[in-house]
Amino acid sequence: MTVRQDPETLIPLKPVEVLVLTMLSAGERHGYGIRQDIIKHTGGAIELEAGNLYRTIRRLETDGLVDESPGAATDGDDERRRYYRLTPFGRRVLAAELERLRALVRLGEERRIISSPL
Amino acid sequence: MSAPSASVAGERLYRSLLRLYPRRFRDRYSSDMLAFYRERIQHDAPSRARFAAIWVRLVPDLLLSAFAERVTFASAGRRVVAQQTQTATLPPEEPMSILQQDVRFALRGMMHRPGFTAVILATLALGIGANAAIFSVVDAVLLRPLPFARVDRLVDFTHDGTSVSEPEFVDYQRGVTALSKLAAYSRVEATLMAGDQPVRARGTRISADFFEILGVKPIMGRTFARDEFSHLAKGSMILISSALWRQQFAADPKIVGRTIQINGNPATIIGVMPSGAVLPDGGDTYWTRWRMNPDSLWTRNNHYMRLVGELKQGATLAQARTQVRTLNRQWMRDFPETYFPDHPITGQVTPIRDYLLGPTRPYMLALLGAVFFILLIACVNVANLLLVRGESRRKEFAIRTALGASGNRVVRQMLTESMLYAFFGAALGMSVAWIGVRALVLYAPRDLPRIDDIGVDYRVVAFTALMTLVTGVLFGLAPALRGKNGDSADSLRDGGKTSATGSSRVARRVLVVTEVALAVIMLTGAGLLLRSLVKLQAMELGFSPDNALTMQLTIPPRRYNDTTADEFFRQVLERVRHLPGVQSAALDGALPISGDESGWSIMLDGRVVKNISEAPYAKPEQVTPGYFQTFGIPLVSGRAFTEADRRGAPPVAVINRAMAKKLWPGVDPIGHTLKMFNPSSPWVTIVGVVGDVRARGFQQDAPETMYFPYSQSGSSAYFQPGSMTLVVKTAGDAASMTPAVRGVVRGIDAQVPVSRVATMEEVVTRSIASRRFTTILLGGFATIALALAGIGIYGVIAYGVSQRTFEIGVRVALGASAASVVQLVMAEGVRMTLAGLTVGLIGALAIDRLLRGLLVGVTTTDPTTFAVVVGVLLAVAACACALPARRATAVSPTEALRNG
Repeated sequence: MTVRQDPETLIPLKPVEVLVLTMLSAGERHGYGIRQDIIKHTGGAIELEAGNLYRTIRRLETDGLVDESPGAATDGDDERRRYYRLTPFGRRVLAAELERLRALVRLGEERRIISSPL
Repeated sequence: MSAPSASVAGERLYRSLLRLYPRRFRDRYSSDMLAFYRERIQHDAPSRARFAAIWVRLVPDLLLSAFAERVTFASAGRRVVAQQTQTATLPPEEPMSILQQDVRFALRGMMHRPGFTAVILATLALGIGANAAIFSVVDAVLLRPLPFARVDRLVDFTHDGTSVSEPEFVDYQRGVTALSKLAAYSRVEATLMAGDQPVRARGTRISADFFEILGVKPIMGRTFARDEFSHLAKGSMILISSALWRQQFAADPKIVGRTIQINGNPATIIGVMPSGAVLPDGGDTYWTRWRMNPDSLWTRNNHYMRLVGELKQGATLAQARTQVRTLNRQWMRDFPETYFPDHPITGQVTPIRDYLLGPTRPYMLALLGAVFFILLIACVNVANLLLVRGESRRKEFAIRTALGASGNRVVRQMLTESMLYAFFGAALGMSVAWIGVRALVLYAPRDLPRIDDIGVDYRVVAFTALMTLVTGVLFGLAPALRGKNGDSADSLRDGGKTSATGSSRVARRVLVVTEVALAVIMLTGAGLLLRSLVKLQAMELGFSPDNALTMQLTIPPRRYNDTTADEFFRQVLERVRHLPGVQSAALDGALPISGDESGWSIMLDGRVVKNISEAPYAKPEQVTPGYFQTFGIPLVSGRAFTEADRRGAPPVAVINRAMAKKLWPGVDPIGHTLKMFNPSSPWVTIVGVVGDVRARGFQQDAPETMYFPYSQSGSSAYFQPGSMTLVVKTAGDAASMTPAVRGVVRGIDAQVPVSRVATMEEVVTRSIASRRFTTILLGGFATIALALAGIGIYGVIAYGVSQRTFEIGVRVALGASAASVVQLVMAEGVRMTLAGLTVGLIGALAIDRLLRGLLVGVTTTDPTTFAVVVGVLLAVAACACALPARRATAVSPTEALRNG
């Protein structure tokens, strides 16, 4: 029913967007959960605050990469709290972005800036 | 959470900060963000310090993202909204608007230079915040309309050096036709019995028309009707203030019609007056009628009232003054026995605004001037910093211009940046103002007019917004224009690395010189006021206020006569003296510094004079034995009062040195006599002379004073006061004795109200509170100015060193010594400082003259102050230059030459 635009037009993504999308690829999260995930996976190097995070979510929602998960709240959770999930389109955009990054990483390996894993 | 209150307040603040986001964003995400915040606090803030640390991160994050979001919404506007409601279909994003691009670029730039951004924002926040805070105070005290109707036509009316008597008031009412209405009022005090607790309250006795002139209407009930002012009117009635209504009657809605006891007499409450309807000389809490009987007025020389009048429509102040002067001259002719030609009576008619706000105005304006200077300095500093930064970005601008950006586009980019700084600076400044106003109100002297009205309000917001706009344009313009005129080819060639262009160097130096000059002006101003304060405090008061507790005791006149009153006070003194920690105690009818002003006419040495105009006068004080010792007032000659000077014993008096010098010049006054200007008073023998006391406060000389023993004052000095101030000299902290002393009084007579409890040090401090407050604030501002000037000098010199690294490298390579490099760097700083000092000192001589009215014992050209200021400024400038100079000596020639 929807005419999707080409994922390539949204690329490159901002680093924050890549992080948020990647965290959501593991399943739906609420805002604070996304923050905690990012801290865990970046070794604490990136700690998002609410303003930046929700502005990013707003952008991703506007572009259709992320949407609100219906009825995902588990028992005992604050019912007002929204959970966000990756849309299929969002997954394609993230994949395209990661491909772009992979090409960059390859280049770095070829030029011996980083060593390639065996 | 260790502090639940902090977390509650935090959440409230967070909620209000969320309002900064655009509506649409808020509707969708604010509950989520609040949940996020709660979890963040719950998980990550086990301690207060962590709580604060989270907030430090949170505020800039929120401000920046809210601003960015607003820009997005404003420029992309309906499109974004439409998309959100339409859900999934998304056209490709349009190119960003130019504004959005500018803002985004500027924001990124700010984030990348956190140090630079922090210095600029802190500078602006201080400048704007201090301005908004002081403006709030000045606005509430001076600018906001007074709570009276027709305020421009209201006049305060009294006599030069004295008040107005009843016959004079009647004459004025009849003779000054330029005034449509004229009312009299005087301060009174009474003991009110509201419940079972007696309250000592200050009130005002008013004549007809008083509230009509002020245009103040009761919030409940009514005021007095015209015929109720007649001396034939029956019944006792009283109006109370809304403050008294709330404090003593728990805001009882059925208060009107209730009867209370005033000095033991029943009176009916007929109305409640709003707060703020108070004249300074009047009381605070209640109003009673002055029922004048035109046939039996008090004598013409009994001055005790102040007047308030309303100018007739079309009449001028000058006309009123002329009529008053004509009347005064006529009285001098008609009543030679009352008015002494050497001291002609002079009516003084002043606009009510000047009367109410006049004393505070110079302090307020000095502060307003000072904060305006601070804002100027802050702007100059920011301009300077941006100029330096613009200089280092010349290459960037050159590239942009070369690639086809128009000059205006570059200017717009720079202006956007400076407006952004101003925007964030203002946001931070508002919080500084919010805190500042609270602190100011907390520490402001209590007698500041209308202090309860002070608060950050929309007018302050408007004022700050205006200031911000001016600031943004002011400091955005210089760097932007420089950026526009930058020669792209030159800039590209030298890579933006070598020394700055000549004109920019001049501009920066001019800015720093301005800064230094402004700082000098403020420092000298603050210095002069500080010296005045120190001089004032060093002045001999003539008594020792240390460890003295004072409180006013008022005996209910209906239950006491002179003998029982005497007995009551004797018992109080007896028991208080036996309290542990009390060294001595005494009573005084008129406390120094805070006491009321009055002078009584007397006759000397058995010579009877007919006319009161020929009689000298002095200030009376009724005291108990031990008074001089308790207050540390030195006995110059003769003796002090003893317990033997009681009722029935030969009447005696002690006078102060000023009185002895004036009335018995060159003669020992002991053994001489004086007598009230009253046939039935006895002749009183002077038995002692004591030192002078500055009873009117630091700034005025001691009045001629005569002391009478309390027990004898009923016959020797007209009457025995029913209200006496108990002075208790303690071994340790005076204030801590309050409960014990109160207990003693209650134990003897629970119906005697205890009021005006204060240590004598407080009384003394309060008398110079306005001055102290202003001086401290001005000192604080001057310090900020000094710091900002220091930062300014540092910025320019440091930048100069970084630009001249190559040159310095060459010099060192050619054998220049470290000392000569330091000299090279310092020379520029010293030149700028000296120029700034010169300009500043000239400015200070011109501007500090405005402070003349506030200075005591110091001239506006006080050399000590100026010398200290010069010294301090040179020291700060040296420090500011020293750091970059050190860095310059560390330049390695090889490094510098390679990079150059």
